[in-house]
Amino acid sequence: MIDILFFGRVADSLGKRRLAMALPPEGLSLFALRLRLFDGEGDGRLRMSVNQVVVTDDRPLHDGDEVAFFSVFSGG
Amino acid sequence: MEMEVRLLPAGFDPAAVHGDFLARFGTLGAVTAFTGVVREAAKGAAVDYLYLDWYPGMTETSIQAIADAAAERFDIRALSIHHRCGEVRAGEPVVFVAAASVHRRAAFEAVDYMMDRLKSEAALWKREVGPQTDRWVEPTTGDADDLKRWSDK
Repeated sequence: MIDILFFGRVADSLGKRRLAMALPPEGLSLFALRLRLFDGEGDGRLRMSVNQVVVTDDRPLHDGDEVAFFSVFSGG
Repeated sequence: MEMEVRLLPAGFDPAAVHGDFLARFGTLGAVTAFTGVVREAAKGAAVDYLYLDWYPGMTETSIQAIADAAAERFDIRALSIHHRCGEVRAGEPVVFVAAASVHRRAAFEAVDYMMDRLKSEAALWKREVGPQTDRWVEPTTGDADDLKRWSDK
């Protein structure tokens, strides 16, 4: 199982903040997961993290991973 | 190097934090502090509150990284970052940043630097809500330019 979290505008537009998913036996990469969740929409402003580290490149996902999708940060 | 970095889901009193910081580090010679307060209007529309969404764990780490970078980069002896998350009403403080040093320049610059980076690099997502407005705020090109000021060093 992997834990998927959503924050900011992304959580708002999906109407959810959290999702648990079993990894398929053939495995799943981060970019493949993004395609599944966001219908392949090429939103260049979508940001991702794996285990709380922001990542931009594709990578295989593993059981127990915590993946998050969010919009650009705006603090201060 | 003394650092206090806090992510606060409830309100805080920046004057009290400032007073405490001054009492502890004022004798160094120079203390600079900045407080950001939620505006009552943005782009002509009244604002009731900001909602700052956050990612428990990652948000704290991202703010700590900014504090660590400031400590490394400037000749300061102490710093403080207090940042709200959750709902912050108009007129309430949302962020407080302070630095203490032996001479003023380092303290001024460190606070300026930390604020510029907090705007774009703290893992927070800001939503403005008012009677006629409900929108997620994204960093402006001005925020990006502010950040670039520090990239040449």
